[in-house]
Amino acid sequence: MTRKHRFAAWIIGLLPLASLLAACSSAAAETVPQPIAYSHRIHVTDNKLNCRFCHSSANKSQYANLPSVEKCMMCHRSIATDNPEVKKIAQYWKERKPIPWNKVIDLPNHVYFPHKKMVNAGIPCLTCHPGMDQAGTAVQNLEFGMGFCMDCHRKKKVSIDCWTCHY
Amino acid sequence: MLDRRQFLKLGGATAFATLFGGCDKVQRRLIPFVIPPENYTLGEALWYASVCGQCPAGCGIVVRVSEGRAKKIEGNPLHPVNRGKLCARGQAALQALYHPERLSLPMKLSGPRGSGTYKPVSWEEALSLLMGPLRKAKAEAPPSLLMLTGPMRGHAGLVAGRFMKAFGSPHRIAWEPLGPDAMLAANAAVYGVRDLPEHDLANARYLLSFSGDFLETGISPVHYAREFGRMRGDRETIRGKFVHFGPRLSMTAAAADLFLPCAPGSEGFVALGIAHVMVRDRLTAATAPAGRLADDLSAYTPEAVERKTGVHAHDIVAAAEEFARNQPGLAIAGTGTATGLDGAFQCAAVALLNVLAGNVGKPGGLSFPNRAQAFAKYGPEAGLLAPSPESGYAGMRAALEKMRGGAFRIALLSGATNPAFTLPPSLKFGEALSKVPFVVAFASFLDETTSLADLVLPVPTTLEAWGDDLAPVGHAGAITLCQPVVEPFHDTRSMPDILIAAAKELGGEPAKALPWGSFRECIEKAYGGPGGEMEKALQRGGFFGEATSPRSAARTGSVSLPKAADRPPGGDPKAFPLALHLYPSIALYDGRGANLSWLQEMPDPISTAVWRNWVEVNPKTAAGLGLAEGDGVTVTSPSGKITAHVVFNPGIAPDVAAMPLGQGHTRYGRNANGRGENPVSLLPAGEAYALQATRVALAKTKLSTTLARTANPEGQWKISNLM
Repeated sequence: MTRKHRFAAWIIGLLPLASLLAACSSAAAETVPQPIAYSHRIHVTDNKLNCRFCHSSANKSQYANLPSVEKCMMCHRSIATDNPEVKKIAQYWKERKPIPWNKVIDLPNHVYFPHKKMVNAGIPCLTCHPGMDQAGTAVQNLEFGMGFCMDCHRKKKVSIDCWTCHY
Repeated sequence: MLDRRQFLKLGGATAFATLFGGCDKVQRRLIPFVIPPENYTLGEALWYASVCGQCPAGCGIVVRVSEGRAKKIEGNPLHPVNRGKLCARGQAALQALYHPERLSLPMKLSGPRGSGTYKPVSWEEALSLLMGPLRKAKAEAPPSLLMLTGPMRGHAGLVAGRFMKAFGSPHRIAWEPLGPDAMLAANAAVYGVRDLPEHDLANARYLLSFSGDFLETGISPVHYAREFGRMRGDRETIRGKFVHFGPRLSMTAAAADLFLPCAPGSEGFVALGIAHVMVRDRLTAATAPAGRLADDLSAYTPEAVERKTGVHAHDIVAAAEEFARNQPGLAIAGTGTATGLDGAFQCAAVALLNVLAGNVGKPGGLSFPNRAQAFAKYGPEAGLLAPSPESGYAGMRAALEKMRGGAFRIALLSGATNPAFTLPPSLKFGEALSKVPFVVAFASFLDETTSLADLVLPVPTTLEAWGDDLAPVGHAGAITLCQPVVEPFHDTRSMPDILIAAAKELGGEPAKALPWGSFRECIEKAYGGPGGEMEKALQRGGFFGEATSPRSAARTGSVSLPKAADRPPGGDPKAFPLALHLYPSIALYDGRGANLSWLQEMPDPISTAVWRNWVEVNPKTAAGLGLAEGDGVTVTSPSGKITAHVVFNPGIAPDVAAMPLGQGHTRYGRNANGRGENPVSLLPAGEAYALQATRVALAKTKLSTTLARTANPEGQWKISNLM
């Protein structure tokens, strides 16, 4: 086996590894496709809806919660019924099927993040979800590194004990 | 060419890359509800209070419900029966809710009767199939309808009772195999009250227990276990002493300070021996009718009792003296005593000790709360809501005769008490039922009984149903409310709901007797409806804190000595050398829990065996028969023959073989079927439902199965030291 051959064999072997690295580095910037082209901007900025109108358990639970189809239809029975995206919701409602949203914002499994603690402490939603009020479907504009959390916890003089956030 | 080393390097790199190349960001779905459940908050659990339906004890439960799913069941801390505690059987009710073999649709028989082959039908078709024979039965004189259920307490009992009365049929049987018939008869004879007493264990200083496994499977095991804990540890300077007599070292016996083994069916004689010493040595209470009993008791000297029971005379004298000097004390008869051939005598002999010690109606003794008082507003119908806890065996035998005679056109079956499994086979329940032209079963699972039906109607589990309940003991006058803690998983309808609908269809008297639109409406009307007192009661689990006045036990001053029938267990002692002691399993009870894998895999506290039944023998007896631990044996009685694995129990009387009830199912789903054989098939069909009714012989045999145990028996019992 010549040196050239050996080099070629290594390249072939490492191709999948390279593709993995490429995929990982591009993941953060990618827009996640959603079944309905929902617009946060129209609801939050244009129509001044409070975030918690739809994410109703953000102050009550670990999870902020996505609205049920029933909740969407509370308004969209009469508002913007001609909009093709609203028609999609109406179809889900008619078929009594849930909307299969794709998850956008994610934390590693070893992190415990209770929404209610932040919301009840008066932290605005946009602190961790910047640009959401101008976005269409949900976006993650911030990489949640540990430093981001620690900075804020130090500034607010709240616990930075490991067990506060890690299981 | 690639050499070996390069090949491995390249192969490794490729495998690594291929394996971890899949670690791209996985799209995960977030699927919110279409219509969220009531009071729903994602990630936050709600606790709903209800009542446990796994055995007749009627404990209060609270169920943790998260995202509309029941996740965990605990005892209701406010409930007077169990005060926040719950047994394993109660915890396992979750598995019944999610069971893959639960019936989800009405089913019509599609093969020959008893084949267990069904096809699903709509509720409309099922109800029309039910109404046809019901109408015909109603038109006949006398109406030929049989209703065979488990115990139905609260308004479910009222609905069933009124339906049958309006229908004109008196044939309503509530079958409960472990119903304390003998205790009720004994209490009527000794205390003058045909009911179960409250034992104030927490304030007692001394406890004599007679084959009473009250910590495991008695009338209300969680209630008694809690009271027992208080008797032992709640007082600063007093730790109540506990002496247990019985044929076998059970978990309850193992908790005693002193366990004195006696021959099965002889517990009553031990009690009379103790009574003899108390009267002879003037150790009775001043109020006790000791003088009148002295002559009758003269035959039961400690020495005579020793010959009959195997308990040493000096132990009897010591127990009598300690019992008398450490008052208040209690004597309790348990399932083992009550299910003997002359159980009423045995229980009466034990009850006599409480009378002699003067403990009736006193703190640390026993009292009889008036159960019917909770439902006093129903007048004569109160008995339908708070029925006597008896087994219904006499009614069952009479009904079997009538079934064979073709007296019934239609039979309605319900409840978990499964007569085809729990009745001795010689009563031929299945054959008698086959004489009834149309059989309808209301059930959550197919079992040996429901698979004999023509039409099976699926009912909700207790976690999905409305109802109310009054526990047999420990209730302190509290009515427990039962509410659906989750939306029903399947298209099920409860038996009272179907009876109410059927009554409407029938019109006339039945429709007038059941005037509600649904069973929920019946419950709401009875308790003031939503918004009122009922809403608060639902949050707490029931109406607690309204203590009932105790009934006076009137006749204790003139009590007479119970008559010993002295009927030995059936079978020639030479051919069948061992007395069979059958006891309810702590996990499976009478067998109703056998389809739940949590209960199957729960190790028995004494044998540590799981998933199969066994026969317990004394290691010395086993050595005489050439049996080793785990060996297969045939257990033969005059009435039947089964096989089982041998488990050594050094704390069992040498002439006894003991088996737990509950295994041996043939049609109760994949968790229950084929796990040993049903020991009830060894029993003769007698006048009473007696579990201690026969003698057996053991013979070694080869079995293809093995008995799984979680502890090494050699290590546990040190067999070599005992032999």
